[in-house]
Amino acid sequence: MTLDSRAWLAWAAAIMLPLLLGRNPYMLVALFAIVLAVRAAWSQIAARQFAAWGWFLRLALVVVLISVLFNVLTVHAGETVLVHLSDRLPIIGGALTFNALVFGLLSGLAIFTLVLTGTTVAALLDWSALMRTLPARATPFAVAGSVAWSFLPQSAVAWREIREAQEARGHRIRGPRDLPPLIIPLLAGALERAMTMAESLESRGFGATGTSSQVHGLATALASALAALAAFALASGRLVLGAVAGVIALAGFAFAWRGGTPGVARTRYRTRRWRRADSIMVAGAATSALVTLVRLQTTPAGLHYEPYPVLAAPHVDLVLLFGLALLLAPAFLLPAEVRR
Amino acid sequence: MIATRAVAPIANLDRVSYRYPAVASLALDDVRWRVPEGAFVVVAGPSGSGKSTLLRCLNGLVPHFSGGELAGRIAVAGEDALVAGPARLSRAVGFVFQDPEAQLLTGRVDDELAFSLEQHGVPPVIMRKRVEEMLDLLGIAHLRDRDPATLSGGERQRVAVAAALALHPRLLVLDEPTSQLDPWGAEDVLTALTRLNEDLGLSIVLAEHRLERVLSHADQLRFIEPNGDVREGPPEAVAREIDPIVLPPVTQLGRALDWSPLPLTIKAGRPFARSLDLTDSPAPPTVEPVGEVAFDVRGLTLAHDTRTVLEAIDLPIHAGELVALMGRNGSGKTTLLRSLMGFHRPQSGRIMLFGRDVTGAEPAEIGRTVGYLPQQPGTILFAERLIDELRFTLKHRPQSRAGIVETLDRLGLTGLAERHPRDLSGGERERAALAAILVGSPRVLLLDEPTRGMDAWRKAALGELLKDLRREGVAVVLATHDVELVARYATRVVLLGDREIVADGPPAEVLAGSLTFSTQVNKLFGGAWLTVDQVLAAAHTVSF
Repeated sequence: MTLDSRAWLAWAAAIMLPLLLGRNPYMLVALFAIVLAVRAAWSQIAARQFAAWGWFLRLALVVVLISVLFNVLTVHAGETVLVHLSDRLPIIGGALTFNALVFGLLSGLAIFTLVLTGTTVAALLDWSALMRTLPARATPFAVAGSVAWSFLPQSAVAWREIREAQEARGHRIRGPRDLPPLIIPLLAGALERAMTMAESLESRGFGATGTSSQVHGLATALASALAALAAFALASGRLVLGAVAGVIALAGFAFAWRGGTPGVARTRYRTRRWRRADSIMVAGAATSALVTLVRLQTTPAGLHYEPYPVLAAPHVDLVLLFGLALLLAPAFLLPAEVRR
Repeated sequence: MIATRAVAPIANLDRVSYRYPAVASLALDDVRWRVPEGAFVVVAGPSGSGKSTLLRCLNGLVPHFSGGELAGRIAVAGEDALVAGPARLSRAVGFVFQDPEAQLLTGRVDDELAFSLEQHGVPPVIMRKRVEEMLDLLGIAHLRDRDPATLSGGERQRVAVAAALALHPRLLVLDEPTSQLDPWGAEDVLTALTRLNEDLGLSIVLAEHRLERVLSHADQLRFIEPNGDVREGPPEAVAREIDPIVLPPVTQLGRALDWSPLPLTIKAGRPFARSLDLTDSPAPPTVEPVGEVAFDVRGLTLAHDTRTVLEAIDLPIHAGELVALMGRNGSGKTTLLRSLMGFHRPQSGRIMLFGRDVTGAEPAEIGRTVGYLPQQPGTILFAERLIDELRFTLKHRPQSRAGIVETLDRLGLTGLAERHPRDLSGGERERAALAAILVGSPRVLLLDEPTRGMDAWRKAALGELLKDLRREGVAVVLATHDVELVARYATRVVLLGDREIVADGPPAEVLAGSLTFSTQVNKLFGGAWLTVDQVLAAAHTVSF
């Protein structure tokens, strides 16, 4: 691909930031349209990659529809009542409201746009190029990530083959109990492929340079556990405990990072030149993220929307929308040979 | 044991015994093996005989990756493999696996070649040179910026070979690298290997079922008998001692007719063939009656991803026929098979099944009469016990006449009914999948490349089973590249060209004289001669 993978990641982060912050319908629709426009522009050269992720989008759509239904049936808040189910019914009994439907749809749109952004970037970025930009010590994680990543499209093909073969045996999915004939062969096949990949990595010298001692391995494990503890403590308001655990975890990571004894440094076959288009894309993403964060402080209504208890017209924040429009940049940064 | 040239070994296994973790039996039992430097060694034998385990000892994957218990000594390229392990041995030993998909790790062909160089810290200047060399050596320079996922199987395996060679190893080990490829892809890979061995002196150890392509290039054949005994030596000598079923047809003929030196190639067999002087045609096969029309395809046109794949196909298939669909890759064999099963909706045309229009019908509905076995039959197995797998099919086929006990018996699986299907050996698993289909007593059986990766014994057993089914009135349709199997068992061959049927008739008509789809026997004797059995029957009546 002709744009730097890091630029794509910056773009994805700038899209995902407002998606995670609020449910304002104008903002959500704008972000959805931006991702669609970028996909449309890049589909000229990445149609096959996009198609490979199509199954994931279909799956996401199913999840979204279920979540909308779940929201409508279980959240009985809001003034605009559509229908009233008998209160004797557990959980779903009570008023089904238009407010819950609207919130469900907005959440669904946000989730779907998140997945759409993720799959767009997954299809467009060059994992091996991204891997090379990481420091040598992070390479094992990057390789593991890239191998895991290549798994999903392969699993999609396997899923189709298994589904068809079982269908030919008369199998139909009517409920969760009908899933094992599909899931078990899929997992077994994935495990077999994973073993071959792992063998292939070993046979081609992965891990041949640099060894870390058991002490440093232990340090990494402990630091990871402490980092998780710190995150939990911070999230649940125990700031002191969180801070202490965080500092120790960082020290642990630093110790593990410095401690590995590399035999020979890994080398890189090709380093990609950073281009002007990459700078434009990153600048657009950074500006957009900045606008989002500033508006979150100054005009939060541009990001937030609450349909409970009364449905009100959402706020339009033109400054925010203008900031988001900068994320259209990749649609205009197609390689010259494609534009022609 | 037959003597080999005394050359210093590149690999030496001394009294190696190995047991996989949590398995009671030994996978390798007191193995002694010397691989001479610069040799081309072919390892053959039935599936499950320990070929893969043996090969994995050469680069330390066994026991470093697999775990388990190993006794004995393994020296490879001057290193103790048990100490060095696969990552360090990767400089001396390149390894290529069976599955062309699962072993490629990056998104670009040239990155793939650079991967192991990067891992070993080879300076970028040398790295660039090596990548270029490997691209040229394997003839894949034009693919350098392609994503391996978009390549054909043969191209992908050549990329895997190039990637394994980038570190200039002294030994290249390949575990059935062509078993998932069509004959043309396999030919490309094996031709490349021969050149590497002959021109560069690279030592090669290759596990392979298709002996007809490699035997003539090999210096040494290590053959593991079904009972575990090992025969090793120059191919011609070993070929005289082992079960002829695994040998190329020309060598089988040589064995049966006592030709000496034993021919391993068609070229070597030609003088002997001429001396046989088989001028008449072979006795025509007895025409067996066929039953009613099972599938009747009329004017079938089908597009896939905006490309027309099949155009105006007319194809009646009768009960009691064994129809082989042949043709190069992409000619539409699999698509035609899948359309019969209802997985593709045709643009136009009609598909009748026993007089009923099933165009556009659901696969589950067609499946009541038709059994379908995908390319990797093991993928349909999911139950805890084999018997439950058969019950699962019967649940959806209550009208089936076949019983569980007799189906298992027929496929030689009696006694395994309570076993977990995934614990079965490769061959047993394939039969288990077939049992799970046949217990539904289908009147039509569709098989997609059923012999891909199968050893000679399993292939022959499948051929006999299909023959029995056909005689019982089942219509069997298989998409295949396997010319020898077709010549022996098919009653009819349908050759697909570019979207259309280009030939349709008995094997003797369609395969005879074809340059790409004829058997070794046909290449030797011409005319309508197709199989070893035909020639032997004629040779025993003619004086020789």
